[in-house]
Parts: sequence; C-alpha cells; structure tokens
Amino acid sequence: MKIKQRRSDSIRAVVAWLLLLVAVAFSVAAAADETCNSPYTAGLIRGQEDYVQVWTLGVEGWGDGSDKLVTVDANPRSKTYGRVVNTLSVGGRGEAHHMGFTDDRRYLWAGGLDDSKIFVFDVGTDPSKPKLVKTISDLTARTGLVGPHTFYALPGRMLVGNLSNSADNGGVTGIAVYNNKGDFVQNYMMPTGTVQGVKGDGYGYDVAINPRKNALLTSSFAGRDNYMRDLGALIKDEVAMKHFGHTMVLWDLKAMQPRRIFDVPGAPLEIRWSLNPNDDWAITATALTSKLWLIRQGAKGEWQAREVGTIGDPAKVPLPVDISIRADAKGLWVNTFMDGMTHYFDITDPEHPKQTYEKHTGSQVNMISESWDGKRIYITSSLLSHWDKTGADNEQFLRAFHWDGKELTPAFGIDFAKEKLGRPHHMKFTARPTGRAAVDSAPLVSAY
Amino acid sequence: MRRAAALVALSLAALAGSAGAAQDPGPPQPPRTQFVPPAAGTYSLQRIQSSPDATLLDASARPRRLRDLTSGKITLLTFFYTHCSDPLGCPFALGLMSALRDRIAAQPDLLARVRFVSISFDPARDSPKQLRAYARDAASRAGFEWDFLTAPSMAELQPVLEDLGQDVRVEFDASGRRVAAIDHMLKLFLIDPTGTVREIYALDFLQPEVMLNDIRTLRLEERRPSRGISDSGNYSQASSSAGWRITRSAPQAATSSAPPR
Repeated sequence: MKIKQRRSDSIRAVVAWLLLLVAVAFSVAAAADETCNSPYTAGLIRGQEDYVQVWTLGVEGWGDGSDKLVTVDANPRSKTYGRVVNTLSVGGRGEAHHMGFTDDRRYLWAGGLDDSKIFVFDVGTDPSKPKLVKTISDLTARTGLVGPHTFYALPGRMLVGNLSNSADNGGVTGIAVYNNKGDFVQNYMMPTGTVQGVKGDGYGYDVAINPRKNALLTSSFAGRDNYMRDLGALIKDEVAMKHFGHTMVLWDLKAMQPRRIFDVPGAPLEIRWSLNPNDDWAITATALTSKLWLIRQGAKGEWQAREVGTIGDPAKVPLPVDISIRADAKGLWVNTFMDGMTHYFDITDPEHPKQTYEKHTGSQVNMISESWDGKRIYITSSLLSHWDKTGADNEQFLRAFHWDGKELTPAFGIDFAKEKLGRPHHMKFTARPTGRAAVDSAPLVSAY
Repeated sequence: MRRAAALVALSLAALAGSAGAAQDPGPPQPPRTQFVPPAAGTYSLQRIQSSPDATLLDASARPRRLRDLTSGKITLLTFFYTHCSDPLGCPFALGLMSALRDRIAAQPDLLARVRFVSISFDPARDSPKQLRAYARDAASRAGFEWDFLTAPSMAELQPVLEDLGQDVRVEFDASGRRVAAIDHMLKLFLIDPTGTVREIYALDFLQPEVMLNDIRTLRLEERRPSRGISDSGNYSQASSSAGWRITRSAPQAATSSAPPR
C-alpha cells in the first residue's frame, strides 16, 4: 500500500513537473506592474485584478482631511466596476506615499513621508474592505531615519527604504528592516564614503532585488527639507537644488554591504529589474535630467551603469516620475509629471530604448501601474502635497486605460477632488480570495 | 521519490538549456545562483524574531517541546506535508535538505551542532506512523539529527504557523469539496542556538551554497561570539576604505507585543 502510494506520488510529481515545463515553454509574452513587487511576493495576479488599492494623501477640507486607503473596484464583471467601494482613513495627514506587500501578500504596508508612520493593512482577508491592523511609529526613534518610502518584502521581513534623517532633515538616510510582525530588526545606512573609487552621497529612494545575482540596488532622491517644501520656491533655491541624490548603490544582498556606487546624476528614482531569468540588468529614470539609465553586469561580471535614453525634452524638465516595466521586459511605461505625458518605450534592446508611443493623460500625472498581461494601465495624479500643481491644473484622479499595443483607450476614471478623497498616489492590485481558508477551517473529505 | 527527483533534475537542466527568449517568467522556478556567495563569517545574519514554542508529536508519537528542538543547536526548520506533490514544494525542499545534510555530515565541526526539523501542517493525515515511513530515507544518516514532527491537532500547530508567518491554506473544488492539496509558501527557517530566527529562505533564496555559508557563519559566531562583525547591529561606512565600524550595540531579537496577524 505504501509502495503504491509512493509510486503514485512520484508519478504525480513528474506529471506536475512536466505540466509546469509545458506551461513555461508555451507561456505567451506578457507584461506588468505586478513586476515591481518584490520577487519574494507570493500570489502574483496574472489575470484580472479585482481591486486597485490607492494610498491617498489627505487634503484639508476634503472629507475628513486624512490620508486614506481608497479601494476601487477594477473588475469589469463587477456591478461596482470603476467605483470606490471602500475608504479607510488613518486619522491624520502624514504625506501618504508608497506601499508594499508582505511576502505572503496578506498585508499591505503604507508609509507617510512626513510623519514617518507605517500603516499595516490586512488586504488578504477581504481586499474589498481592508483593515488597519497595526501602526508602526518607532522608525525614527529606532533608527534616526525619516520618510519611509519603499516597502520591499524579504521572506518574513520588510525592507523599508527611507528618504531622510531626523538630525538635519537632509538626504542622508538608510534602509530599515522590520519583521512581518512589525518589530524593528536592524538598519543599514546608505554609504557616504568611497567604494571602489566612487564616493557615496548617502541618499536613498527605491530598493529592488535580483535574488539570482544576490544584488540589491538602491537609488537616491532628496531629504525632507526638499520634498516637503513648495516646489516653486525649491526650484528658485540654487543651494537646495544641489541637495538631490546622484548615486545608485549595488549592495551584496546577503551581506547587506555596498559593493559598487554609481554616479547617476539627476535623482534616479524607481528601479525595475528585468524578470527574464537570463537577464542581468535593471533600468531607472532620473527625475531632474530626464534620462533612462541601465545598470548591467558586463561580460566579466563587473556591474556598470550608463545612460541609454532620453525622456521627452530634458530642457523643459518634464520630470519623469514613475516607470513600469513589462513582465517580458520588452517595454517600459514612463510618466512625466510636468507635461502630463505617458510614454511607452520599446526596450527590447535595453541598451537602446526607443519611444514608440506617447499620450497626454492628465494635467499632472505621477504613478503608473499595469496589469500582468499589460492590457490595463492605471495612472494617478499626485506627486507630493507641496509639489502638485495649483489651480485648474491640480487635477486629482485615478484613470484606467485599456492598452491594445497601439493605443491607450479610457476605461474609467475617478475624480478624487470631486469625491473629496484626496491626492491619489501609489497603487497596488488585490484579488478576492478564491476558495481558500485556514487549514483548520474545514475537515478534509478525501479517500484515504 | 528519488526517481522523481532525478527526473525533476533532468527537467531543470533541459529548462535551463532551452531558456533564452524573453518571456513571461511563468510559474515559480527553482532558484539559480549566479554569484559567488560571501564567505562565511564575513557578514552577519539579522536577528529576525524569536522562534515559537508548542508541544508536538515526534515520529514515535512522543510529545516534544518545540523549543527543545529549536535551541542548543543551529536548526534548519521547515513545514511540509507528506502528500505534497508540488515539484517546487515539499519534495524540492526534501531533496535540497537531504543534499545539505550530506554536506554538513561530512564536516565533523558542523555535524554535532546542526539539526533539521520538519513539521507537518497536515496532522489529520500525517500521523506519527505516516511520518516514520516518510522520514525513513530522509533522516537515515548516522549521527545527524533530523526530527520529523506532527501535531495532535491543528489547534496546537496554528499558533506556530502564525508566529512564523507560514501561510497555509486549503482549496476547494467547484462543488465546494475540499481538495487534498494544501497551498503553502515554501519557507525554511534558520534558527541559532538561542532560538532566534536568523534567516528565512523562500524559493527564490534556496541556494545551498548560501545556506551552508549561513550555517557556518552561525557556527563561527557560536565559537567566537565577541569577534568579527557577526554580532554587530548597525553599520556606517567609517572612511574611504572598505572597512566598516560598529556604531550601535547589537539589537536583541525582535519580539512582538502586538502582532498584526
């Protein structure tokens, strides 16, 4: 009986593996902003997302004025498609900015750049009604760091990439590590010394990991003094304008030690690794110089960074903000805030990106997220509360588009100003749990 | 099972050879190590959390305190169920751990200081008797401690799963009938002799060389607790040299007073 069972298991294992091989071999080239999730994140949504969770900055006089998680129904088969189905206020304005899933995708961590609080939402139990289960308030006390920006899952932990520090509110900062319970584990300062001949500026922004290469890449932006300042006044301040990051750092992930520092002028922001198993590169966009940069391992294993493309007209400072890479790494979406343009680059050859499409999608546009199959594109409007435009140009929206490979066609839009929700910033997709429950919730009924 | 593992290995080789064109990465794939891991003892492992306690059953149906099996030695702990047939699930982990065991067993300094613990999260089917049959091949290596555990019921095990963040869910077919497969994230927990979780390996980080170096790093830390950077808590770059200095005392293992789950 045992032998039969074992043979049966072996056969099942082989069949399952062959099916897996077939699935890989015949998988169609696809695309996605699910790709910006940590590679340790479970349950990527490869089909239709059900909800878009929007981390939204509060605006005084709009509703309760607080930062909130806004849940939007994104499934066309739903009766509430394209509508807000839930709002969850966190009670206060702390400059809501970015979010990230824990490795099991049950929890969504969201940060405030001003108050340095981290909110942990349960989005696994019922993503249509997220619940705030914990507020982490000890980041600055534990680390001296300010402005939790990027939330990037490691197994059982969260890497928190920060923007600033409490000593001088400048750009020198670091990475904090919390376990999934929300307990502080450790922090690592961005390098300010010299590594292999290049001096670090100590600035931070995004973090992104390639496990196959044991590589952690970080980028750099600006300190609290700059990102919480009125943009018009900031641009006129020559001294302040020098206080932007101009480096990227390649870390040994296992050792959490910087191995290379690259000079990347103009505030390199979001980092996207190619997810192709044989690729060895990541791409980023620089906000102030409007360039695409490629970080790639050379033939001898040496990592290099170099400028590979231009976004719009750099002389007009279009301010590229968010980018989204396709799952097959053949294309890259880029939003430029100032001119409200959404650009698509063919990066089949990442050394030579070519813009093949652009569309004006709003008076100001910031984040861009695409579905795994690349057919749905979501755009939000807000950059930072003190950097958003004013007057009629201060549109605040979530806009969804269909993408057929040639044209962006509007699907739905939500006016966050009219709805008095706030300034929508970062987006994450969630899906309804499908026939799952805790293992002790139902007895097993099977033949054994 | 071994035959299946061999076929899986052959399939992996074929897959690696055929890969080339850009494509959807598809379902999870076994990890590949395209780097030289840092040498043991040249880095520190984070103190992630304390490991939980519970009373479980071993393969002889004896009650065992989990804490007794996650302290005193360097422990590699994982969860599994014997009916698992996911090629990148329990069978994959079992094969990897068996290979790792052989390498550890070949090093006298590690052999007596390292143990493996495998806990079934399917106590309804995985009785101690079932565990004995499953463990017969895996654990049979003279002098190496590999404990297979199950639980009297899920009630005893659930707090352990929750504490370690081991997601385990069941699925149902169209008629609402529970299917035999149990959905779970493959995770392995490296625990130091004080019972502190120091590394968690998911599928993308199941790299044997790295795991072995981590075990060696903990062993060096155990032998030289006051030397090196292994116990450092916070770094900053000291100068233009490659050197690092400790700027803050070592943090204690994180403990939770109000877990979100």
